[in-house]
Amino acid sequence: MKKPLLVSFLLLTLILGACGGGSLEGEEVSITGALIGTDQDGFRAAFEPFMEETGIVVTYQGSDNFEQEIQIQMESGDTPDFALWPQPGAVVDAANRGMLTPLADLDIDLEQYQNDFSAYLVGLGTVDGVIYGGANAANLKSIVWYQPAEFEARGYSVPSTWDEMIALADQIVADGMNPFCFGMYSNGASGWLATDWMEDIMLRTGNGVDSYDQWVNHEIPFNDPVVKNAATLLSQIMHTEGYVVGGTDAIVSTYFGNAQDPMFSKDANGNPGCFMHRQASFITGFWPEGEKAGAGTVTTVFPFPSIDASLPAAALGGGDMWGAFNDRDATKAVAEYMLSAEFYNNVATRPDNARLSAHTGFDTSLYAAPINKILGDTIAAALSANSFRFDASDLMPPEVGAGSFWKEMMNLAVEGPGYIDTALDTIENSWP
Amino acid sequence: MRETTQQEKLMSIGISMLALGIFPLIWFLSQALLFRELTDAISRNLLVVVALIIGSSFIFLLFLGMDKIIKLAPKDNRDALEARMFVGPSLFMISLFLFYPAVRTIYISFKDRYSKDFIGFENYKWAFSDPEMIVTIRNQIIWLFFVVFFVLLIGLVVGWLSDRLNKGEAFFKSIVFLPMAISAVGASAIFKFIYEYRPPPLTQIGIINGIRVSVDRLGAQCMNNRIINGEFNGFDNENCLKPIGWLQQRDMSNLPFAQSLDANNWFNNIVVNLPVNTMLLMLIMIWMFTGFAAVVFSAGIKAIPQEIMEAGQIDGASEIRVFRSIVIPYIKSTIIVVGTYMVVTVLKAFDIIYVSTRGDLETNLLAVKMLDEFSKYRNFGRSATVAVLIFVCVLPIIIGTAIREKENAQS
Repeated sequence: MKKPLLVSFLLLTLILGACGGGSLEGEEVSITGALIGTDQDGFRAAFEPFMEETGIVVTYQGSDNFEQEIQIQMESGDTPDFALWPQPGAVVDAANRGMLTPLADLDIDLEQYQNDFSAYLVGLGTVDGVIYGGANAANLKSIVWYQPAEFEARGYSVPSTWDEMIALADQIVADGMNPFCFGMYSNGASGWLATDWMEDIMLRTGNGVDSYDQWVNHEIPFNDPVVKNAATLLSQIMHTEGYVVGGTDAIVSTYFGNAQDPMFSKDANGNPGCFMHRQASFITGFWPEGEKAGAGTVTTVFPFPSIDASLPAAALGGGDMWGAFNDRDATKAVAEYMLSAEFYNNVATRPDNARLSAHTGFDTSLYAAPINKILGDTIAAALSANSFRFDASDLMPPEVGAGSFWKEMMNLAVEGPGYIDTALDTIENSWP
Repeated sequence: MRETTQQEKLMSIGISMLALGIFPLIWFLSQALLFRELTDAISRNLLVVVALIIGSSFIFLLFLGMDKIIKLAPKDNRDALEARMFVGPSLFMISLFLFYPAVRTIYISFKDRYSKDFIGFENYKWAFSDPEMIVTIRNQIIWLFFVVFFVLLIGLVVGWLSDRLNKGEAFFKSIVFLPMAISAVGASAIFKFIYEYRPPPLTQIGIINGIRVSVDRLGAQCMNNRIINGEFNGFDNENCLKPIGWLQQRDMSNLPFAQSLDANNWFNNIVVNLPVNTMLLMLIMIWMFTGFAAVVFSAGIKAIPQEIMEAGQIDGASEIRVFRSIVIPYIKSTIIVVGTYMVVTVLKAFDIIYVSTRGDLETNLLAVKMLDEFSKYRNFGRSATVAVLIFVCVLPIIIGTAIREKENAQS
């Protein structure tokens, strides 16, 4: 009875040995995440060459209720192999609860990983010096949408500094039009667009990323002169007569998803409602159907202009990050593949793809959509220069980042420049 | 003789404990143990089938067993025990799913955001000092007062008048009742479109702003939305009123009518500070529940004996006098019931705010605030505190209803 078992066991090891030290053929690796729809299709497609090569079966299942579901799965111990979180804070949270496997245990070359994705991104998934999070995709917020044809027809040039942008805005007002589209109403999250503006300005004033990091970590108070200066500059955009189409009423009342629409609608003289709209790369999803195809050509972006010329070009953005729940060999192989520059090759070529690789060595010419190439280059450049920063309000405590900061920005828009001090003091006092 | 009663008493106590306490407890525990073992032993799908079969027969067997034990009791006590047997499970369920969570919520409201350490009354201090909470409580009070008042008032008037219709009463009432058939989420979505705002060069898709931007301003001729020389004129805003983001107005100051008021008048100051968005949101609820109130009142009015009404009319009472002195007193208890229902509904009001503004720009209500503290700010202590506040507000109504029920039963 014992003998056949032993023989078959020996045979099995022989076969496995023949396949080159333990083949992973047929092993299954499961990933869950918040990506659904076209993003889900793209993410699945990313694994196709890998699955063909190694024989590992990688399954991805997205859910729009992912963040609650993964909490429950972690509580019950019924976890997938990987979870892809939309923000790094959740990875840190899971790591703090002892749920995740450090990347070192997955045989990842950590030095290489830092070089590829920048120390800043890696740091966002690090707890007490141990790296848990794997950077994946990034998105870009430091961009201003505009229509080159409209600029050319009127002899306007793309501003590269804040002063140039203000001069251009004054010019447009003098020509009887409105330079900016600005709408920050958003059910339950009203005001986040203004916090994005504040963050972009903070990255480009004071000590740049250094004072930005201090601000995020509350090492400088919220009513510090640097922050006040940023709020003053933002107030200049919001409250200068004629700058925003519809005035301050429109800033507070316009749903952010409709905010860009005046740019696409021409009046009787053929003038658009506005010329510039600062908004993250994902906003194309909210554009009118007819305009979506023109992203990157008809309507494209210029980088948020620099303010203090002595500071390096910075980029504000977001991104997702995965964490691994075990250190099986198949898991290791998948982790290594996800951190390679090739991972996004198969995704980038899809015309409907909106996800951008956070790998600085990624070949951005592969992006099928023209807009993605521009955005991808900007992200890679900022990451390499260590001037890519995450959305500050997402990193602040929720009472501030999803509470008082949003609310006071709404109040600031309504009340005018005289309210800046009150707004910043209120936010400072609400910091837990 | 006396001894026997004593003995009987003891016996019935023993049996009732056995029948209503020990037996169900052992029964439940054995089932719990069985299913704990089964969970690991068999697959989930099979478990569901097994649970369905065993679970239902288990209830049947439970009652059968209790009944068997009660049969042992002396005859005079059987009826009382049997009644308890049927009330028992519901009492047990109520305490499990109502009292336990309530007590636990109160307990958590004294703990910190992670429910770890006791922090005394800190959360309650926060609830009455945080500016946002104060606005939320203010809104809740405004809602309670106005929504209940207007639903009752309009409901009464509509109920009374529809009763006087010669024909088409059923049709009229079903029209008024119709909003009740729409879910609060649907109604909020409808009204959201009515109040919708688009920045000026865009076509207004909300009906109020659509009309508004077609109105003359400053005595000049507005050309928006007019057909001129056979051609439809779109939007050139020069001579027309500007659109207004209705749900984003915290006060009247953006309305031209408020701007024309004299600022030094105290009454005008109150008018200017009226929260426009909150009023417009209350309108959704009033619209939804007026029909319900009207139909209930109409049924109450129908029950008034014709003789009394005729007597009033013969005595020369006017319509209003009849309404005030006969109708209102006669359907007083109906009014109280509808009012109670409305108060509880307003205290629980959640969906309208959640769908329309999600509490932004000073429109929040307690129920939404409770969820915000829980899911947005992850502060379980504060969330529980808000829940306790709602509970405390509902409590007098529950007690009032209980007292009234008791009075009704006695009279």
